[in-house]
Amino acid sequence: MTAFLRMGGYAQYLWPAYGIAFTVVILNVIWARRMLARARAEARRRVAVHGEFALRGEQA
Amino acid sequence: MTWTWFHRLGSPPHVYRLAERLTPWFAWPAGLLIVGALYGGLVLAPPDYQQGDGFRIMYAHVPCAWMSLMVYVTMATASAVGLIWRMKVAYAVAASCAPIGASFTAATLMTGMLWGRPMWGTYWEWDPLLTSELLLLFLYLGYLGLRSSFDDMQRADRASAVLAVVGVVNVPIIHFSVYWWNSLHQAPSVMKLGAPTIALPMLIPLLMMFLGFTLYFIAILLVRLRGEVLRRERSASWIREVVTP
Amino acid sequence: MSAAAATVASRTEVPPALAVAWLALARDLRLAFRKREQLIQPLAFFVIVTALFPLSITPELGELRPIAPGVLWVAALLSSLLALDFLFRDDAQDGTLEQYALSGRSLTWLLFAKTAAHWVLTGVPLALIAPLTGVALGAPGYSLLGIVVTIATGTLALSLLGSIGAALTVGVKRSGVLLSLLTLPLAVPILIFGARATQLAIRNESFAAPLELLAAIVVLCLTLAPLAAAAAVRISLE
Repeated sequence: MTAFLRMGGYAQYLWPAYGIAFTVVILNVIWARRMLARARAEARRRVAVHGEFALRGEQA
Repeated sequence: MTWTWFHRLGSPPHVYRLAERLTPWFAWPAGLLIVGALYGGLVLAPPDYQQGDGFRIMYAHVPCAWMSLMVYVTMATASAVGLIWRMKVAYAVAASCAPIGASFTAATLMTGMLWGRPMWGTYWEWDPLLTSELLLLFLYLGYLGLRSSFDDMQRADRASAVLAVVGVVNVPIIHFSVYWWNSLHQAPSVMKLGAPTIALPMLIPLLMMFLGFTLYFIAILLVRLRGEVLRRERSASWIREVVTP
Repeated sequence: MSAAAATVASRTEVPPALAVAWLALARDLRLAFRKREQLIQPLAFFVIVTALFPLSITPELGELRPIAPGVLWVAALLSSLLALDFLFRDDAQDGTLEQYALSGRSLTWLLFAKTAAHWVLTGVPLALIAPLTGVALGAPGYSLLGIVVTIATGTLALSLLGSIGAALTVGVKRSGVLLSLLTLPLAVPILIFGARATQLAIRNESFAAPLELLAAIVVLCLTLAPLAAAAAVRISLE
């Protein structure tokens, strides 16, 4: 197990690299979901405020 | 008949619902492939003759680089589709791509530096690959910057679409010029493994990574796409049913 | 088309796109010469920036000579970018740009004319001053013509390429930095080939190869940039 973690001496470069890649992968998932939630909340608010007919046609 | 699927993609409610349905079909296979590739690359593949275990950084760095390029091409293609066919959905795709691509380009640079330090001895080298990636990051940032400078969504879409198309035409030229510049001053530095053909146990996890990350990108794109489509919608009728839980 | 309309159309002289473009070019040159002080500004900037390098590195000409091509090119790049701001701004503000777009004439040719005028007003003077600053950085006498040629070609490509970014940001307030951020990465090939050509000229070697590559970029920009700029102007004017 320790041999695996040591990665033949490259550990101090290898694991941070994996950490960065992993972080960006997870961050993108979080960002995307948050962005969608925010867009849905905005749309809900717009529908509630403007209703059906005000939104069609020209943007207020 | 055969093009109806394309024209239906111009309909925001259709795209929204389709994206919602398709996301898990991309997300789960992506996760499995990536985990499988990690196991294959970190555990199963034997140490490299020259680089020992160091080559395994490749499985973190190369997928990021792949993402940075694939996402830019997707962004530019979607932009072109939007400009030619005036499809709002296409602009929504392009807008969704930009943050994904920019973050992975930054990750490519950072992982590249971490790979370079043990391999070349310095954290940064002006080698053609890293330099091209740096310029690609600037292209992404320019795209995002241009977008944010417009209040009007439509104008932001169209202006950044022109920039993306101009950028993608430029990318091969930039790439060529950077390689040309680099070759003037030193032997081209090889970021790939020394052997011209990679051994199969090393190659398979890499291919799994390519496929897995492609599916992952599509999954993330589909999530963001739904949000971007909502932002561009004016007619409230279909939104109402979709956002009231 | 009815017979009457057809005769009317054939009788009214429609100037070809080229003639109209020439008029636009002449107009831009004339307008610029009325404000001659403004023409000096990019040149002054160029000279100042070039002077900053010896001040911050070393006064030794021998040590400056190797970096002279880079300094000249970066300074020329930055000066051209600053000057790009003037390309469309005045015309956008007083509505001339809109007139160009609505005129029914080829917007592509009109914008090409404006970009050509911009190059004549900034790029060419930069190219003519560059030998002076080059000498100040240690460039030998035989390289001066090479410096002029390489920088003139490069600034032409830069004006064309920059016109796209300028058209995209014409409505944006305080767009100077954004314009530079957009254009600089795209300008890297111009910089690489141009600086290499200047470097070879200073070393008294043949600089044909990079100059040809630079010329190829110029040709590409000549054909594509005005088109993209026209599309961008139309988007900005909506």
